[in-house]
Amino acid sequence: MAVPTTAGGSDSALPPAGRRAGWASRGLRRERWLGYLFVAPMLLFLLGIIFFPLGHAVVTSLYREAGVTIRFVGLRNYTRLLDDQAFWNSLRVSLVFTGLSVALHLVVALPVALFLNQLRRGRTTLRLAFLTPWMVTPVIGAIAWVWLLDPHFGVVNYLLTSAGLIGANKVWLGEPMLALGSIIAVDVWRGFPFVMLIVLAGLQTVPKEQYEAASIDGAGPIQRFVFITLPHLRYLLIVATTLDVINTVRTFDIVAVMTRGGPVNATEVLPVLIFNTAFQGNRFGPAAAVGVVLLLLLLIFSTLYILLLQSERAGEAAR
Amino acid sequence: MTQSRHAQSSGGPVTRRQVLKGMAGVAAAAAVPVGRARAAAPAVRSGTITLQYMTANLTEKQYEPVWKEMIAKFEAQNPTVKVEPILVARKDHWTKFVTAAKAGQAPDVVAVDIATAAYNGYLRPLDDLWSAEPASYRQAWSADVLSAASWQGKLYGLPSWGGIYGEIYNTEMVKRAGLDLSKPPVNWKEYLEWSKRLTKEGQQWALAILGGKTDSTTRMLLMWIWSNGGEAFNADMTQATFASNPKTLEAVEFYLGLDTVHKVVAPGAVNINYLEQTTLFAQEKIATMRNAYWGVAKVVGDNPAIKGKIAVAFPPMNGEKKVTMTTMAADSISKDCKHVEAAWKFAKFVNDKEWGVKRALVSNWMPMRTDLTTDPEVKKDPMLVQFLEYGKVARAYPLPHPMWADIAANDIVAATQSALLKQVPIKEAFAKLDADLAKKFKEL
Repeated sequence: MAVPTTAGGSDSALPPAGRRAGWASRGLRRERWLGYLFVAPMLLFLLGIIFFPLGHAVVTSLYREAGVTIRFVGLRNYTRLLDDQAFWNSLRVSLVFTGLSVALHLVVALPVALFLNQLRRGRTTLRLAFLTPWMVTPVIGAIAWVWLLDPHFGVVNYLLTSAGLIGANKVWLGEPMLALGSIIAVDVWRGFPFVMLIVLAGLQTVPKEQYEAASIDGAGPIQRFVFITLPHLRYLLIVATTLDVINTVRTFDIVAVMTRGGPVNATEVLPVLIFNTAFQGNRFGPAAAVGVVLLLLLLIFSTLYILLLQSERAGEAAR
Repeated sequence: MTQSRHAQSSGGPVTRRQVLKGMAGVAAAAAVPVGRARAAAPAVRSGTITLQYMTANLTEKQYEPVWKEMIAKFEAQNPTVKVEPILVARKDHWTKFVTAAKAGQAPDVVAVDIATAAYNGYLRPLDDLWSAEPASYRQAWSADVLSAASWQGKLYGLPSWGGIYGEIYNTEMVKRAGLDLSKPPVNWKEYLEWSKRLTKEGQQWALAILGGKTDSTTRMLLMWIWSNGGEAFNADMTQATFASNPKTLEAVEFYLGLDTVHKVVAPGAVNINYLEQTTLFAQEKIATMRNAYWGVAKVVGDNPAIKGKIAVAFPPMNGEKKVTMTTMAADSISKDCKHVEAAWKFAKFVNDKEWGVKRALVSNWMPMRTDLTTDPEVKKDPMLVQFLEYGKVARAYPLPHPMWADIAANDIVAATQSALLKQVPIKEAFAKLDADLAKKFKEL
């Protein structure tokens, strides 16, 4: 019987069993080292671009700077966060922004995906059209929206007043609630295609026979959606939502361009607070501490995502 | 099996070691030209040094022809020096500078907020270079101007240009409102009367209050405070007095009241900064704007039809002492600069008379050298002369505080926005600001 080897040679050239086992084990060891060697460049790369900055941020969060003087303050930057109104306001804004944006991504993406899935003609063209906001660089999209929402020259006010929907021009980015609503709306515009794409992929895997059987049994479109489509999409929707939460809670570009966190910090999500604290306030230690807290928040969602994937794989294996 | 396929294709067994050796050989062969190219690069550019130059206004259209000509001429005179302009939008200028400085890569010659940058160790003191210059050269700047470019007794910048603020009017809009610009408003009462007449609800407004998240919000607020004889801080800048100084609070209430009470202000104040203000003026949505001379160049650039319809007057006062504001930009050398001699040479070149005059006439940046204010070319421009006249009673900006960049663009803006949005009464918003700043000052 041939022993799998990594080096050349035929069966007739194999050494006796004892030596053979040792040789094979050495070969496996060498193969393992070769494996490490192959992944080493990527590991070093990741170390350089992810783990080193991460470690640096954690170290920075333990220091406080006053001009050229830097002193070690331990966890004081973290304990100060507990008393910092700006941090709690920012956390609240982040949760509202993320919660509403993610929910609305789903609310918009689901019907659009269902619509695209039913199309027989022009599906590719429309899919591309719906994907456009996602393909546009967020900063470019945000700048365009700033002009669209301009209180004096913006198209949005013009259209809404022309249609009689609003009496006078609105200052979309100038009032706290309107500004938060506006950045959420722009994030929904930019972010729903991602969820739509995942849902559309899921819809294409639902067996048509199930719909046919349900129709024969007299099920209407709503019943078919509730009892066939949704159960099939359940896992994908959870995965899409979890990924979307991870993406949305990190949003910086749209807010930075459109409001810079204003007015009166009404749209200051955590990444914008980090930016403002570090680069405008020159307080890199406290900013790094907020960054670490944001990282922990993201880790919670990432862990949830991994657990979901594992449970689904376990479920599939059981089936 | 992989092994047998290798054996078949090459006529003999190929081990992984051989494959690895082969890959290493290919990688080494590929690396040779790269290494050669890298080695060759310094040779090609040997003897040439590159200076990075970054100021907040390089991206602004009215300055572009001047700085392009200036750099070309400097490079022609100094063939071993290349000047690389770093183009960053005004609002991102400070962020870009801090990021680069933190990474030890700050541009060589920069114009930034001196107190904050010097306090944080981002700039190189220039005293050794300055004192090596002949006295005749050093006399071109007044002691006041040099002190505004210093921090804790050390000189950190060569004062280059500034902006003296006046009240700029659209003469046509004023005429249409039945007002006479030969008698512009000189006090707050008259200004309010004018403002009411210049406002047509929903169509045009007298002015725009700057309340956006940049330090221009603070500039405007300070000017109104000073015009009432108020002070925003105590003399050594260890305490904020926005709510505790009655004159200061009165000025803040009057200024913000133009929006919240009198409604003579363009809507959306909390989103308006320099760019939005000049756009509104260029589009004839507002009839007046508090701005420096460069604002005139900007609006004419935005709307050439407005040329000839602009006049300037001294800002209306409510106090006894006439006062306005002048901002100052100075060319500094960053602490990361490796070619200090060349950088100093370039900073001096930028501040030569020729460029000072061109900056004034083409870009409308006010000259900082005292010997330029009497230059015959400068004197040919009546509006420029008028602004320079106002400069005699102008107070310097930014204020000399190491946290000024943050205080001006965040804390004061937040209080102003809160008051404009009527979230809390004006007094309460600014009392909170005083308390917040007291806490911040303690951290220094």
